[in-house]
Amino acid sequence: MSVALYHWEPNANSGKPMLALVEKGVAFESRYLDLLNFDQHKPEYLAVNPQGTIPAMVHDGRVLTESTAMMEYVDEAFDGPALMPAGAADRWRVRWWMKFMDQWLGPSFSMVGWSVFVGPSVRQRDPEELDAAIGRIPLPERRVAWRKAISGNFSEAEMAESKRRIALGIDLLERALGEREWLGSDVYSLADINGFNSGYALPLSQPGLANDALTPNIMRWLRAIYARPATRQTWAMGRTQMASRVSILESEPA
Amino acid sequence: MTAILYHGEPNGPSLTVLAAAFEKQAPVELRRIDLAAGERHGGAVPCPFEVSLSIEGEGPVLVADGVAMADSVFVACYLDDAGGGPALRPADPYARWEMMAWCRQVIERAAPAAAFLGTQAHLAPRLAEMAEPAFAQLTGAIASIDLAERWKAVRAGDFPEAQVADSRAKIAQAVERVEARLAGGRKWLFGDFSIADLETYSWLAGMAALVPDGFAGAPRTREWLARVKARPSVARALALASVPAPQDAWAPGPEINRWG
Ligand SMILES: N[C@@H](CCC(=O)N[C@@H](CS)C(=O)NCC(=O)O)C(=O)O
Repeated sequence: MSVALYHWEPNANSGKPMLALVEKGVAFESRYLDLLNFDQHKPEYLAVNPQGTIPAMVHDGRVLTESTAMMEYVDEAFDGPALMPAGAADRWRVRWWMKFMDQWLGPSFSMVGWSVFVGPSVRQRDPEELDAAIGRIPLPERRVAWRKAISGNFSEAEMAESKRRIALGIDLLERALGEREWLGSDVYSLADINGFNSGYALPLSQPGLANDALTPNIMRWLRAIYARPATRQTWAMGRTQMASRVSILESEPA
Repeated sequence: MTAILYHGEPNGPSLTVLAAAFEKQAPVELRRIDLAAGERHGGAVPCPFEVSLSIEGEGPVLVADGVAMADSVFVACYLDDAGGGPALRPADPYARWEMMAWCRQVIERAAPAAAFLGTQAHLAPRLAEMAEPAFAQLTGAIASIDLAERWKAVRAGDFPEAQVADSRAKIAQAVERVEARLAGGRKWLFGDFSIADLETYSWLAGMAALVPDGFAGAPRTREWLARVKARPSVARALALASVPAPQDAWAPGPEINRWG
């Protein structure tokens, strides 16, 4: 059996299958792609995933993409602790939260993250080189996103909308985590893995919205996930200061 | 399982869930609502945040054992997980991944495009005729600010040319994917009949008339559409229509990806 994972930092979509694999105890070959170096649009990788997005997994010669569907596969295809609850309604709720993170809240985090981290990290490079790099991106909507990130051209209206969503999303997370111990059900699941990958740095990136006083349940949840050996092991694979922001969770509850 | 399904006309997400319930022979009590009149927000349908903030926009709601569930693919997964009857997903993990990843691409790429084009063609005229107080009351009851914005854009006829073109391209791409998938004489998209057939059909059936070019060079897709339509569960769902052309019944759906 062989598993190889193409991934960037333990963060957002890359971190989802990384953490799921480590939780399951599945050894995998790590193939780190540097997103800031546009590795994900190079021909070698486009041969694996023609959409040019990370992550991608190769299990016994078969390619898998789409990080959330990939995590369900990891849970079903390998031995190890179950990462989906047993009840049908709980499974529905886990999937609901993952979609909410993937398609509504996550993209808002991304917009802010790209404008403060990704854009500034690449912006000073040679403009012609950047232009050529953007020209190699297969998905047209991603070309637009990259151009905006590099030029710092996210409109005020779209940034405001992202901020509205982040505030509301934090509120919903706090509510849900006030009702049960974990996000989707009473057991640790893929919803928690998914949510942690979007939210691990919240107390640092949104200190006015996520903190011990305002969102004690979110803080309890983030710390509980960070305390898991699999999470430590996964975040130790990070190479940038983005992933090392996770150390904020070493703080004691206020 | 005692369940109530609040559903709209058999098109889009309502069709997926209705037909999935019939496939599974789930004991579900059906209650029709007019999604295109905003009836999901009127107070009769349970509306916890998982429903009011559903990414799918206006879709059916299944209430089972006190839990109100939205998002058609996951409601169909619920019916598959909870009930007997034939499986609606492949058993093999890799085939199941293929089906779920396929549905994700339909949800994220084809569905917003279909809802955009469908509401432009069929809902915009109806909303434009509404009196302002009635429309304000309708949107005022919608908890999701971004969903309410989509309703307002439909009424205002705000369909930017670039998004129309992009949506037409996304429908054509979805048909291309179906056509490629059906190569080699496949009857259904993933082995046995599955949620992927339902979800893909439900969003594409109404597009044949709106994006005819997209379907022109796709004979396998046209045959498959006819096959899905004739499937007893789908035929039974379509027979519930209260309008002559349910494939033209559209309400504001998922938003067009604002990130990429
Ligand atoms: N739906 C895909 C999205 C993957 C995705 O967008 N990944 C991001 C990183 S989190 C990416 O590759 N961005 C780089 C780019 O678009 O160039 C999934 O869940 O795997």
